[in-house]
Amino acid sequence: MKGPLATFAVLVSGAWIAAAWAASPALVQVQVVDKRGLPIRDAVVELDPEGGWRGGPIRLPGRAAMAQKNIAFTPGTLIVAKGGSVAFPNLDTVRHSIYSFSKAARFEIDLYGRDQTRSKSFPVAGTVALGCNIHDQMRGYIRVVDTPFAGKTDQNGIVRLSGLSAGKYQLTIWHPRARVPGGEIKRAMAIQAGSNSQKIAMDLR
Amino acid sequence: MRLSTFFPGPLRFRTLKLRIAVVYAALFAIVLATVVLLAGNGVARFGENSASRDLAANARVFDEIIGLRAKQMRASTDILSRDFGFREAVATHDDATIESALLSLRQRSNSAAAFVVGLDGSMVGSSDANLPPVESLWSALDGGQERGMIRLGGLLALAAASPIQVPDTVGWLVLAQPLDAAEMRRLSRLAAVDIGARVVGASQLSPALRRAALGQVVETGGSERILHHVTALPALQEGLRPRLVLDHSLTAALAEYAGLQWLLAALAAAGLTLVIAASWRVARTITRPLSALDAATRRLGEGKNAKVAVTSDDEIGRLGTSFNTMVDAIAERERQITHVALHDGLTNLPNRKLFVEQLDHALARRRDDAQLMVVYVDLDDFKVVNDTLGHPAGDALLRNVASHLQEVLGDAIVARLGGDEFAILLTDLAASENLAALADRLQDCFDRSVLIDGQQADASASLGIAVAPADGTDGITLMKNADLALYRAKRDGKSTYHFFEQSLDEQARHRRQMELDLRLAIRDGGFELHFQPLYSLREERLKAFEALIRWPHPQRGMISPADFIPLAEETGLIVQIGEWVIREACRQAASWPGDISVAVNVSPKQFLSPNLAIVVMSALTTAGLPATRLELEITESIFISNVERTLDALHGLRKLGVRIALDDFGTGYSSLSYLRSFPFDKLKIDQSFVRDLTAGGNANAVIRAITTLADALGMETLAEGVEEEAQAEILRQEGCRQIQGYLLSKPINAAAVHAFIGDMAGPAEQERRRA
Repeated sequence: MKGPLATFAVLVSGAWIAAAWAASPALVQVQVVDKRGLPIRDAVVELDPEGGWRGGPIRLPGRAAMAQKNIAFTPGTLIVAKGGSVAFPNLDTVRHSIYSFSKAARFEIDLYGRDQTRSKSFPVAGTVALGCNIHDQMRGYIRVVDTPFAGKTDQNGIVRLSGLSAGKYQLTIWHPRARVPGGEIKRAMAIQAGSNSQKIAMDLR
Repeated sequence: MRLSTFFPGPLRFRTLKLRIAVVYAALFAIVLATVVLLAGNGVARFGENSASRDLAANARVFDEIIGLRAKQMRASTDILSRDFGFREAVATHDDATIESALLSLRQRSNSAAAFVVGLDGSMVGSSDANLPPVESLWSALDGGQERGMIRLGGLLALAAASPIQVPDTVGWLVLAQPLDAAEMRRLSRLAAVDIGARVVGASQLSPALRRAALGQVVETGGSERILHHVTALPALQEGLRPRLVLDHSLTAALAEYAGLQWLLAALAAAGLTLVIAASWRVARTITRPLSALDAATRRLGEGKNAKVAVTSDDEIGRLGTSFNTMVDAIAERERQITHVALHDGLTNLPNRKLFVEQLDHALARRRDDAQLMVVYVDLDDFKVVNDTLGHPAGDALLRNVASHLQEVLGDAIVARLGGDEFAILLTDLAASENLAALADRLQDCFDRSVLIDGQQADASASLGIAVAPADGTDGITLMKNADLALYRAKRDGKSTYHFFEQSLDEQARHRRQMELDLRLAIRDGGFELHFQPLYSLREERLKAFEALIRWPHPQRGMISPADFIPLAEETGLIVQIGEWVIREACRQAASWPGDISVAVNVSPKQFLSPNLAIVVMSALTTAGLPATRLELEITESIFISNVERTLDALHGLRKLGVRIALDDFGTGYSSLSYLRSFPFDKLKIDQSFVRDLTAGGNANAVIRAITTLADALGMETLAEGVEEEAQAEILRQEGCRQIQGYLLSKPINAAAVHAFIGDMAGPAEQERRRA
């Protein structure tokens, strides 16, 4: 459970957000680092517009699937739009089960074998921690978001979000090993048109 | 406290034995005490060290035990924390389910508390006691700590925690069990040695233990020594500093070694006893012979038998042997000294002292009906032998006599009293014993002659005899009486014996009185001179007078010279008397006609007096008498003592012009060598020859021989004791020139001399009377 302390750094360019909101879409770059300044990978960065998203159904890039391969969930963290469905293909030779006691989605999928797949929809936004009943070490996380502006940090701890309009947003940074109450950092953020940049530091377990 | 409290003065031992024993025992005691102390100390230190090691080792054991216990508890929590249902209950905050699961876990694992700490800071638990606040546990749990001490109620409890993962950690399941006294006792039983264990907060430790370094063994305690070992236990709760304290009683641990120490002390005591006994024994073997020697030396000092028994051949044995040799040598020397003191060196006979002792002894032993005889012996002519043959010959004679007496007399005691005097003691004589016959037999012992240096010597002796109890019952009286009897025997003539008579004692008293009177007479001029005429047959005239001393005693009347001259000779008074005679004779003669001489007898003692010549000259000068008118008459006996000196004296007198006549010629030795060695003026023929003249026989032949000899040597002759005319006639015919005797006159006093001279005036008258 001992983890290196990390810090999220979200850099926001006020001018860039204002420009996007007013006329042209704004661009937001957020970098998440740990306490030593090292980039944190696979942190989920969300920007929720004030008052919530009212822009209709959300489509996030990429396939909504959490595979089980080499006795591990792949990818470890998956971002899913609220109401979206996720497939759980078993690519291993062994059987797996999937359970979640998370508030966002409480479910259990009994053991199923190779090349079988199960799917499940997630109507509530939040974090769903997935475990395998027979393989304790398997961890998988599904972040159900209610905004189109969400992404995972790359190996440089950076996520770039585009297509935003300038305005007030709530920035949420989540990481499964975040050492903060509730596992996520939330703060308000004003986005201006153009480039916005934010650097967030956060402790990790 | 000083040693002198017990011992007066410095520590001293009366016996060598005690000293050796004490010194050895003390030495061994010191060594043993040192060994016992060192060993005892070593044992104690070993005990302490091993107790410390035990405690340290057991402290590790305790860590293991507590670790094991925690592991057990953790195993229990692990099982529950991985249970899917339990995880679901925790994930869904189903507190009722959680509590029932915790209660079930508590009962199963028999623990005091089981509770879940949520990651969100919630707590659900089942416990009899108050649980610690969540915030004090959360950070340690979140830090991944799996076990540690927490406070449960008032007690410190061991807790184990397992994370609850669904799959992320949502909380921790904690199981706790107080480490109370009972639990610690239970754990202690797992330790190898008797160790008291307790878990307390650091602040509750006693000051001494608080100061002690963790993980080290420290010792505290007063009457009971206790070792402590304090270690820190991990705390799961913030602000808690739990300590595991292990107590181990050093006193109890050392008690196991006390037996060993007692055994050591007992062994030392036994060894010391053995050493004391052995050293006492050794000391005794050394000192016993020394004590024996000590006692023997004291006995030797007291003159007792002092030999010691020699039991070994070491130094002490040799000392004993030497001591015995010394004792023998001392005894032998004592015997020799005693012998010398009590015996005569020449003859080896008992001396006077021993004789007196033996006599006293015999007297004391004498039975009433027995007699005891003391005989004094004096050799008759020993002096002659000594003078003529020399002292060695005299000694040889004495030895000869001594051995002969011992041989002949056998059981009688023979002693030499000194000079030629012997004493004989005959004891146990019967009352009826014929003493005269016994005396004869004794006399016979001396009736022999002895050959010494080729010369015959006479060994005859005079004997004086005293008999106990008749003549005295004590030694002194008997010896005095025997001496008196001997004196009498000598006087009676030689080679005879005499028994003591009471009269002898009276005679002795008489002699002493006479000696006293003699001295008075010499002082007071109590003597007179009488004169006897000497007549020349050839010239037919009065030739001279012989001066003869007379002693008219004031009480006893006239005393004969025969009675007092021997006494004067013995006492030496003769010298003074003789001097007076010479002076008086010269004085008288000076009044006589010039052709009449005076003849004076000179005794041998007087003759040896060195001033005789001076006395003679002085007398002649005083009287005015020509020396030729003095004629000194000497006897042969003057030659006996010293011939050379005698001749010197004679020649000295002759030089004065004094005539010398040889008196009593024909008796005694009458050695002709005297006549040759000195030209006497006159020989006086002894009256014994004259007495025999008329009896016929060869007497006149002797006279003729003497006169012929005298004529040949140019000496005159004079015959003494002529009493008859016939004798005078024969003497004339045989050529004797002068006569003396009663025929002419008996000695007459000085006054009568002048008348006598007048009567004899003229040869014619003389001739006429004769015809």
